Amino acid sequence: MKLALKLLAATVVALILGAGSALLLVRSGGLGGDVAVGPWRTSTIIGSAEADPYTRAMVAVAGLLALNRSETIYFTAARDGTGERLRTNCTYKVAGTDPPARWWSITLYASDHYLMPNPEDRYSYGGNTVAREDDGSFVIAVGPEKADGNWIPTGDGQTDDTFTLTLRLYNPEEAAARDPSGVVLPQIAKEACPS
Amino acid sequence: MKTWPMWAAGTVALAAVFHILAIFGLPYGIMDRAMAGIATQAGGVNKAVYPDRATAASRGVVRPSPDLLYTACVYDVSKQPVKLTSPVPDTYWSLSTFASNTDNFFVVNDRQVKSGRIEIILAADGNTKIEKGIPVVITPSTKGIVLFRSLVTSEEARAEIDAMRRQSNCDPL
Repeated sequence: MKLALKLLAATVVALILGAGSALLLVRSGGLGGDVAVGPWRTSTIIGSAEADPYTRAMVAVAGLLALNRSETIYFTAARDGTGERLRTNCTYKVAGTDPPARWWSITLYASDHYLMPNPEDRYSYGGNTVAREDDGSFVIAVGPEKADGNWIPTGDGQTDDTFTLTLRLYNPEEAAARDPSGVVLPQIAKEACPS
Repeated sequence: MKTWPMWAAGTVALAAVFHILAIFGLPYGIMDRAMAGIATQAGGVNKAVYPDRATAASRGVVRPSPDLLYTACVYDVSKQPVKLTSPVPDTYWSLSTFASNTDNFFVVNDRQVKSGRIEIILAADGNTKIEKGIPVVITPSTKGIVLFRSLVTSEEARAEIDAMRRQSNCDPL
């Protein structure tokens, strides 16, 4: 009886440790990312049959049904240009030029990986919808307060949580698909945070 | 003799086994849940579902793009091949297929389709009788997900693109 209880306790502890560490690892890993461009991260093996078990698990949790990189490259940013976590009560400017792809979009996701509820029902801008500067570049304000021009709201402004941005490059140019680390991507600069 | 070092080592070894099982099993479990959701909405496997634009209320699949209209079906080739058909617009569009372990084993986009319409057959193996002239894709798993992505180029074009993608289908042969 005593031995059976000991075995049961050891199994429960092992289950918590083993399965818990696996869940913690894949949940904190986002979409994974062996390639970094500033604050943006991407994985070159997302969706591919070469993906290792950890990448598959991360994709299942944070990017199910993602396409392979010859069709689409997914860059995700959880931090700004200085390395600080993106937070919903801060304001940011995402500024850049068209990345080398047929079509692109920048989308904001809440910490649960779903679209962030907001009064504007606006979650993204694409190469076909973003308002541009005179030189063709674009600036997108990201934050809780309404901004002129392109603006993606970070929720209702009442809560302080983390969020992520995903930049999708559909039909990337061949050089970009071959080496995503060489792509020039938008800067993410923090403008203000409540003190 | 003290036995606690043996118990500790055994627990750590068992934890490692559970860790590996969880890492390998997670993709299958999450795909199973996604397939069940799509099949429920569509009324079964090998039937397409046409969800509206993704919003904050959408909970089917993580990280949806609100700029696309998705059409999805669960393929099941265990009994017979499945024919995928769709009109192909002249803006970004793709047809992609995912195995039960999340692998994206096939994708084709509008630029790779010569005509304005695509027909593809999914089959479990190459020995099944199929319609002549239609490309066959062998699936690495008998069940998985088919996803059609249609870019909404503008709000004015949404109705037309929506009507077109509703002609996309998955049908057992």
